[in-house]
Amino acid sequence: MKKRVFTISLSLILLAVFILNNFMGQRITIAGSWNNLVIFTFDSLLPPDWSVAQSEECGFFCSDAWLGMWETLKIAFVATVFGFIFAILISVFAASNLSPLWVSLIARAVLAAMRTIPSIIWATIFLVAIGLGPVAGIMAMTFYTIGYLGKLQYEAIEGMETAPLEAAKAMGMRRHEAAIFVAVPEVANNLLSQLIFMFEYNVRHGTVLGLVGAGGIGLTISNSLNSLQYDRVTALLIVIFVVVLIIEGISMVARSFVTEEGDVKRPSWFTIFHSPNQAVRIHHFDDESE
Amino acid sequence: MTMMPLLQMTNLSIGYDKTLVSNVNLEVGRGEVIAVLGPSGLGKTTLLRTIAGLVTPLEGEVILNVNRRGGLGYIPQRLGLVRHTSVWTNVGLGAMVSGLNRLQREEIIAESIIKMGLEDKIKEPVRRLSGGQQRRVATARTLAQSPPLILADEFLGELDDDNVELVMASVLELVKKGSTLIMVEHHEERAIEFADRIWRIVDGKLVEE
Repeated sequence: MKKRVFTISLSLILLAVFILNNFMGQRITIAGSWNNLVIFTFDSLLPPDWSVAQSEECGFFCSDAWLGMWETLKIAFVATVFGFIFAILISVFAASNLSPLWVSLIARAVLAAMRTIPSIIWATIFLVAIGLGPVAGIMAMTFYTIGYLGKLQYEAIEGMETAPLEAAKAMGMRRHEAAIFVAVPEVANNLLSQLIFMFEYNVRHGTVLGLVGAGGIGLTISNSLNSLQYDRVTALLIVIFVVVLIIEGISMVARSFVTEEGDVKRPSWFTIFHSPNQAVRIHHFDDESE
Repeated sequence: MTMMPLLQMTNLSIGYDKTLVSNVNLEVGRGEVIAVLGPSGLGKTTLLRTIAGLVTPLEGEVILNVNRRGGLGYIPQRLGLVRHTSVWTNVGLGAMVSGLNRLQREEIIAESIIKMGLEDKIKEPVRRLSGGQQRRVATARTLAQSPPLILADEFLGELDDDNVELVMASVLELVKKGSTLIMVEHHEERAIEFADRIWRIVDGKLVEE
């Protein structure tokens, strides 16, 4: 078994090296040199121009950086919520343990099509249909979220233990009942974890959509790029990085409440501010006092 | 008029890639307790799964004279509970297919939970319960369903003697009302104690003792 894993791993690595080697053969040198990169970095990108994160009226919170970031957060939030709702509906049809094969194949094809079209193309489509602005961004991100999250969700449903669905089937539960009352609750932890991940992904991805005019901080970056103000772009990227780190922290805490190992009750509002270990102690204390 | 048997197996052969048990011809009426015995891997679970409609027979047929919805209660070896939801919700799944109205459903859920001695665990997610408590939840789900035919795969497994009494007393109450229990059992003494009929798998045949 170990030998087989080793052989497969080695073959994959060799194949990757072979493909890379072919690409290297096609390399085209664009008058590029290391010196150009150093000059670009230190003359254009650095130091960051923090004026983009300040405003005369009310400091950071009226600045282009924050207003753009806030819009990106709102776009990502709305798109993640709507994307999640539609994704779960389609993933129930796509899961082969809940639906007949032909339904499952059609639903999978729909999800694959949504994923195949990159979000930037979705954004372009909706910009043409709706016009410039955050609504086009929301639509583009929602469609991409459905395709991406739907796949994760149906894989989670298919990976669940078979016994609960078998019991439900034997009892005569209808397909939609088994989906709503058995499958989805059984994989709820996975779904929640994926939802949080997708929100974080959408926040990061919001910058790309903004580049084509679909609102958010990406639009601010796009404006700076067009006017060759790369030091402003650096400042904006640092703002995004900090926000993503904050979301990562929040999602770590949130996810810790839905892991098997954490095994805590559904978090009450105040345990959100405690570490998982502390939360477990608080809940156990509650149990003992009951 | 002769009463239709609850379950009829005619020339039934079961298995997956290869035949495990062949040529089963048996009938089961209402209000019976049947224990299926035999060493592991010979097809006891496959027999229950075939009766439950989860496995297609290799040959022959299974005729069930029960409603498709709610007519059959199945407690798989791994119990089939929704582990992240509460005891109440799990037991409620049984009541959902029972055809009762909402008030009746709530009553029967509460009654079943109390019968299984789980009233202090109503809101607890099932994954936080011990193996024995989970078995009682699975039994409570079947009690709330009150089906004419109950298929139970080693459902007394991790229970101590007191809890075996508790669980069997409630299930036998259903049997008295006309339900039939087919249980796969490892403990021969338990099977003899509770069952009216014993089926044993010997050399690929289902033999009634």
